[in-house]
Order: sequence, then C-alpha cells, then structure tokens
Amino acid sequence: MTTFYGLKALDSGEAFFASLVIGFFFGLALERAGFGSSRKISGIFYFTDMAVLKVMFTALVVAMPGLVIFSRIGLLDITTQIHTIKTYYGAYAIGGLIFGVGFVISGWCPGTAMVGLASGKLDALVFLIGAVLGSILFNELFPVIEPLYTWGQSTQASLNEPGLAFIYKSLGMSQNSFLLLFTAMAILCFWGAEYIERAKNPVQGGAYFNSPFLKSFCLLLIVVAAALFLLSPQNLETRVYPIILEPEATENTPSNMQESRESVSASQARAPMGPEELANRLLERDPKLTVVDIRPGPEYKAFHIRGALNVAVPDLPAFMGKNGESLIVIYSNDETYQAQIRDDLLKMGVTNGTILTDGLTGFQERCLKPVSLRSEPVSTESANRIRSWRDYFLSPGS
Amino acid sequence: MESKTATPKPYGNPYLAGVLLGLTLLAAFLVLGTGLGASGGIARFGAFLEAIAARSHTLSSAYFGKWGEHPLSYYLVFMLAGVFLGGLFSSVLSRRVQFGIEKGKTASGTLRLSLALTGGILAGFAARLAQGCTSGQALSGSTLMLTGSLVFMACLFAGGYMAAYFVRRQWN
Repeated sequence: MTTFYGLKALDSGEAFFASLVIGFFFGLALERAGFGSSRKISGIFYFTDMAVLKVMFTALVVAMPGLVIFSRIGLLDITTQIHTIKTYYGAYAIGGLIFGVGFVISGWCPGTAMVGLASGKLDALVFLIGAVLGSILFNELFPVIEPLYTWGQSTQASLNEPGLAFIYKSLGMSQNSFLLLFTAMAILCFWGAEYIERAKNPVQGGAYFNSPFLKSFCLLLIVVAAALFLLSPQNLETRVYPIILEPEATENTPSNMQESRESVSASQARAPMGPEELANRLLERDPKLTVVDIRPGPEYKAFHIRGALNVAVPDLPAFMGKNGESLIVIYSNDETYQAQIRDDLLKMGVTNGTILTDGLTGFQERCLKPVSLRSEPVSTESANRIRSWRDYFLSPGS
Repeated sequence: MESKTATPKPYGNPYLAGVLLGLTLLAAFLVLGTGLGASGGIARFGAFLEAIAARSHTLSSAYFGKWGEHPLSYYLVFMLAGVFLGGLFSSVLSRRVQFGIEKGKTASGTLRLSLALTGGILAGFAARLAQGCTSGQALSGSTLMLTGSLVFMACLFAGGYMAAYFVRRQWN
C-alpha cells in the first residue's frame, strides 16, 4: 500500500481531495460524539461528562491495532509510508501543559472548535481567532524559543532515525504487551468514566455502566488486542526469508562502464563493508551510516535490509551529495553490479559511498541464515549474534 | 409541532462515535500516511494572514518562512475545511445548530468570550511548540505509539485538571 506521504505527493490535488474527504468524516465523528459543544467537552475536567475520554480512547484502541495489523500482514511499510515525528520530551511536556490549560480555559481544541463553529457557536469562532493569533505569536517568538522547540530529544533511535522513540521500547516491553496493556487500561477508564458519571448524576449519567453493550464492546477490544500475539513478526519472517533473489544480469552494463572502472584508482575507493560490520552498525543505530538499496522498487518492497532506502541509480549522485556527511553503503543483489556503480560515482567525484561485500545475497547468507540451516559449526557467541540480527532485520514495521 | 422540530436530537453512543473516529484515523494513515491534524491548518491560516499584513517580514521569518508564498496550499488546510463541512452536515442533520455563546446560566458572555480567546491563544501557541494538538499529537502520534505523543497527551490532561478549578465559573 502506497500513501501520499510515501509518494511525496501530499501537496497534490489528489491529496487535497483525500484530505477534504477524511476531514469530513473526522468532523462528522466529532459532532456525533457531541464535541460541537464546549460545555460537553469541558465535562471531563469536572467529572460531569467523560465523553472526551471515552471517544479518544476508543479511537486509539481501534486505530492502534488496526495499523499494526496492516503493517504485520505486509500491506503497509511503516518505515517508508508513514510520517513519524521525533520525541522531544521538553518541548512536548511544556507544549502539552500549556495546551491543556488553553483547552480547559476555552473548552475547545482546534478540531472541535471547527465543529463548534459549524454548530453556530460564537465562542468557537473566538477560540479559532485566538489560535490563529497564538500561531502568529509563536512565529514571532520563534527566534527566541528555538532551543526549546527541540529540547529534550529522546536518546532512542528507531528505524535508523535518532530521536524517534516508540513507547513500548521506552517502557522496555514488546509491542504486543504494550497494546494489550493499553487496551486493558482503556477498558478500566471506560468503566471508571461510567461509574463517575453515574455517581455525579444518578438519573442520566453513566448510561452504559454495566450495560450489555459495554460488556461485549470491551470483550471485543481485549480479544482483538490479545489476538495480535498470533500476528507476531516471526510469522512474517518465515514468509519473507525464503524469497530467492535472481542475480543481477551482467549484460545490462554498457562496455564503456567497464573501461571507466579500470581508470578509477584503487586508493580512491573505500574498502567494501562486510555484512557483519554493516549488521552491527545498523543494530547500534550508527547515525553516520545510510544504507541504499539500488534494486528495482518491487524487489525492494519484497525484501530489503531494514532501514535501507530505495534510491534509483540515476538519482544516486544527487542523493549522495545531499547526504554528504554520512557514509553511504550501496547494495544490490551481487557484488559486480554494485561495484560498477560505486566506481562510476567515484569518477563523478562522489566519495562518500562504499559497497556491501557480496551484496544482499551475501548479507542474507552470512547474517540472516538461521543457525539450524548452516553447514559449518557455529559457536554459541556467533549463534547469539545471528539471533539478534535476525530479530532486528526480519521484524517488520517495528 | 413547531417545538418538536426545533428539539436537538440527543447525542449518540460515544463509543460508536469513537469507533468512527478510530476508523477515520486509520484511513488517514493508510491513504495520506500522516494521520489527522487540525492545528497545522490553523497555523497555515495564521501565516497567510500575517503575509497579507507584512509580506516580506513573514516570508523571511524563521518559522512561517519555510512554508513559502502559498501557505494555504497544504493538505491540512483542506482537512480543516472537511472537518467544518462534516461537522455542519452532522449538526444540521441532528438539529444541533444553535447560534450564540455557550456558557453557564449566570456567567456573562464577556467572561466566556475572553476565556475562549485566551485559551485559543495558549492552545495555538502550544500546538506549534509541540508540533501538534489533540489531533496530530494525542490521536495520530499515539496511534503510532510514539513516546513523545503520549507524553504530550499526559501533560495535556495534567495541565487541564490543574487549571480547571480556576475557570469553573463560566459553566455556572
């Protein structure tokens, strides 16, 4: 599945149209929930109406497992198709506190205020004017508060990106355990919310407390979250691994490239990187390392080294110029083709590239082949390393 | 008869509204790859207005400047328009459109509107600092299980509960 973000086409007319339609359903859901009323929204802060809690947590326990399912069955590649943002603890904590104060003072947030405006509320319009002014204020103060904007970047690095932090990693648990825990917590919140509403207003409040609806709804949610354990990354791994990659045909290289290869001096070329070194540096999330897959798109989609970017050969010089400060490891299926590409780049004066010894085939053979399938004896230490490589490189979308 | 048609329909099941919101959120990830967002569209509108007032200053500013000459040509601006239309559709359908200021019986309109303005300024500013609001961070970022988004959501509720007592009169 390819997203507008993955296509780098978020500024296209088609993306605008899709955004308008998605926004329509967003507004529809907010209005159905009663969020065209600031009094109803504010209820959560006075324990009179817990609708905000119920709606937000329901949306999360639907969307979270939904996205995980699409990723695990291989329909959505989180690394390339989804926009993620880094974690800046300081900026988000301060931003969250100020936002929360603004939220309770006004009874609105940007999305619900649009629905409030559509429902004829003058206070929603005034809130939106304030939010526009607040944005302009931020722009004017930006030179002063710029250090705050990126304050407290997480030390975690995920998907080859420093600062990108996932909560289950921060908490030191698996994605599955976190989802189950989060769902259980949401269910407790639902029951707590209904209980509080009933206590505050015994006549109308807490309409779903102990209701058959809420019981079956919560059961369904917990079953979905628990069922995700069946879709563990290991299941996909066995499907992905046996793909046999055709060796790159050698005749697609023009003969003049052969000549140019000789004229490149050996001292200029960096030594190829061994598969083990590449695996270890990726596992350690070396920020100075970028891995580029130059095979055609479908092959890249079928399988690639985790964190590798798919760059077409004609785009390589520009890509490497842009990433001048990092070492770029180029790989294809086998040694010959990728070496020619590297030498051609060297001729063009691009020197921050190297290749992967024996290409992707060698990487799979040396790093990803399970210990049980190896003919040579493997020491316990190497077996552990192979296991950690396999865990890292064969887990999709984590 | 007259009064019957004017009666707003009661709100539906919040859990089902939540499921609809969750499915919309999922669709936004599968189609756009970004999730939902609201404050981004509002900030774009701010950049647009500031550029009308002071064009060269805005275009050379460090934050709005990055958005170029046409800040409104952005997918979140269209999403925000969609939110308005979806909200309008639903509120008209359920007869919930009611012109006026929503407030407590004894609270004055001036108090309510000045609090709405103050809250708006704070929320608009904070959403830029945190790179998102209830939609972009608390909903979309949390769906991706990003640590920062869950920190934002926790702090949002902490800030709200801390300040709630001081502004309770507007609902009395």
